[in-house]
Amino acid sequence: MSANGAPKFREDILEAISNAPGVSGGEEAIRNLLAEYARDKVDSLEVDPMGSLVARIDPTPARRKAGGRRGPHVMLCAHMDEVGIMVTAVEKEGRLRFRRVGGIDPRILPGQVFRVGAGGLRGVVGALPPHLTPRNERDRVTAADDLYLDIGARSREEAEERVPVGTYAVFDTTYEAWGTTRKGKAFDDRAGCAVLASLIQRRPPVPVTAVWSVQEEVGLRGATAAARRVQPDVAIVLEGTASGEAPGAPPDEQSPFMGKGPALTVHDRTLMVHARLLSRIEETAKRHKVPTQWKRPGVGGTDAGRIAISGAGVPSAVVSVVCRYIHAPAAYLDVRDAQRTVTLIWHTLETLRKEWP
Amino acid sequence: MVESAVRTSADWLRYITSLPGVPGQEDAVARELMKAFGTVADKVERDRMGSVYGWIHGVGKAPRPRALLAAHMDKIGFLVRAIEPGGYLRVTEVGGFDSRTLPGKEVMIHSRPPMVAVFATRPPHLQKKGEADRPIQLEDLYLDTGRGEGEVRRKVPVGTMVTLRQSPVQLLGDRLAAPGMDDRAGVVVLLRTLELLRSKRPSWDVVAVATVEEEFGVVCLGARTAAENLCPDLGIAIDVSHGDMPGARDGDTVPLGSGPALSIGGNIHPAILEALKASAKALSMPYRVEPCPTGSGTDAMDIQISSSGVPTAVVGIPCRYMHTGVETVEPRDVDRCAYLLAHYLSELSLEWRSVEVLK
Repeated sequence: MSANGAPKFREDILEAISNAPGVSGGEEAIRNLLAEYARDKVDSLEVDPMGSLVARIDPTPARRKAGGRRGPHVMLCAHMDEVGIMVTAVEKEGRLRFRRVGGIDPRILPGQVFRVGAGGLRGVVGALPPHLTPRNERDRVTAADDLYLDIGARSREEAEERVPVGTYAVFDTTYEAWGTTRKGKAFDDRAGCAVLASLIQRRPPVPVTAVWSVQEEVGLRGATAAARRVQPDVAIVLEGTASGEAPGAPPDEQSPFMGKGPALTVHDRTLMVHARLLSRIEETAKRHKVPTQWKRPGVGGTDAGRIAISGAGVPSAVVSVVCRYIHAPAAYLDVRDAQRTVTLIWHTLETLRKEWP
Repeated sequence: MVESAVRTSADWLRYITSLPGVPGQEDAVARELMKAFGTVADKVERDRMGSVYGWIHGVGKAPRPRALLAAHMDKIGFLVRAIEPGGYLRVTEVGGFDSRTLPGKEVMIHSRPPMVAVFATRPPHLQKKGEADRPIQLEDLYLDTGRGEGEVRRKVPVGTMVTLRQSPVQLLGDRLAAPGMDDRAGVVVLLRTLELLRSKRPSWDVVAVATVEEEFGVVCLGARTAAENLCPDLGIAIDVSHGDMPGARDGDTVPLGSGPALSIGGNIHPAILEALKASAKALSMPYRVEPCPTGSGTDAMDIQISSSGVPTAVVGIPCRYMHTGVETVEPRDVDRCAYLLAHYLSELSLEWRSVEVLK
């Protein structure tokens, strides 16, 4: 798909960061990868006190010298963390108890394989065989806190040595591609992270601070602190958001759709999107023939909710790549939507340079 | 072939569990097993129902008695039941899953070419209140291939086989988790036993049979038909036994790594059980006795009542989380089952009879 004058979406980045582990509070692997993709392209690169990666990149010297408008300082933000689990106890038989980090439906856990810690260790969530399960048990969801992880250890000592309490684990899912569909874990929000990393491969039309934030899934925490440090004029949060598509679902619940372009948020549980900024994004999409759709209003929340209320207030918007099955082991997205999102944001930055507010 | 000599049980487990084959659609796994059996057996054949036989000819004087070893090569899975608008697929199960272990899991649709899909889940953000408190029944689950409806309708006819897609997971202590350990682990025991018997020639003829359609549930079809075909003088089923896990009562399980689980009960001929125990002792091998009060739930159920009755036994491989995508075994237990069977079979005397003549 044509980038339409905008930078090209770097699928290699999406693949690398989708496969790497980064549960909220343990984002190092993602941060290290993104820092490598950013290092040579940006003017400054810092890890803030919470662990968010903050990159400043200004327009080309030529453009600055041209004497035109400098344009507003734009914060582009995508969160690095993903939902996962943390090992909370090691039992005497060597089994691990765990707690969920972020919103995970307990029903996807039994029989699931996890990658435990930074090494290659695997663990499986055991489930009682149907042969041994009383009929009435099968009508009940097993609470996540009653589940356990089996890493094959025979004793507490063996397990503790390999997996100290506090170790994170992520879904054991490998990135794959067919057609324009991409399958992987943590597209919420590695899709946004990769879109942002693709955007900063070229010097932007306005001063940009790229923030890859931590701890979004446990309360939008990393961006809260980062926004105060960055103090932007405008913020756009890049997300991987949930499609509502399902057989038999009422039409109003099906949207947004995978493959039908970036989803624009009007409002969600944390934010009323800044109306003028939103119309600017819409106009830009129309002008550059980028298809867009509306994210289902009133649902979910993003870092933008915190950025918008930081300092004296920051006009903020959210633009998302629509994904199916986020917060589950294997999500889908359409790679064309990722490119469209890069294209839309790039051209939006150009219009902001010409005129804002 | 040299190949088999260097393959460990773990290698075989990884390979054989990766082959598809729900009840009634075992051709692909059977073809591979014909090759594998060919590396260790004197003769390999496939019967009219699809079961694969690997023969070891005994050294006793003909006509020799005949021992039948059975492990089923089918594994539980699904068949495509309907294609919904949007290209989503509904499935029916072949073999019993707990549908609570399915949401979010990847599957392989064995169309031509095969397609990856996932059991779709609604993200917490979009769920209605209380939705996550109710399990999703299989009839409400659906598969998403991430492909257009037209392509799905062209390539995936109703009835297409679907299996859980989970490559073998290496755990600590050499343990391996994969879908289809039930009963591909038993098939690996057959292979290893044939391999051992090649050098350790028994007096009896031994026929190792990878059976079809054990999991279909009506009858262990492959075992019954193979037993009718072969008229064995004794039969031993090799299948998985429930491994130790939370929520299961003592007596229903055997620990992983504890060696062969030897069933006891009506499905088991006491003399074979005693001889298997004696072999384990002779090999200084740990074993457990697994009570099967109402039946073993294995191919041995049907072998026992074939022709005019066959003395049967069951050798079990401890396996956790049966009928999930993470069935877990310890390769050491697989080795031990093979050593036990090879010892027992090579000790069998030509005079052994199961019919007791009282007068």
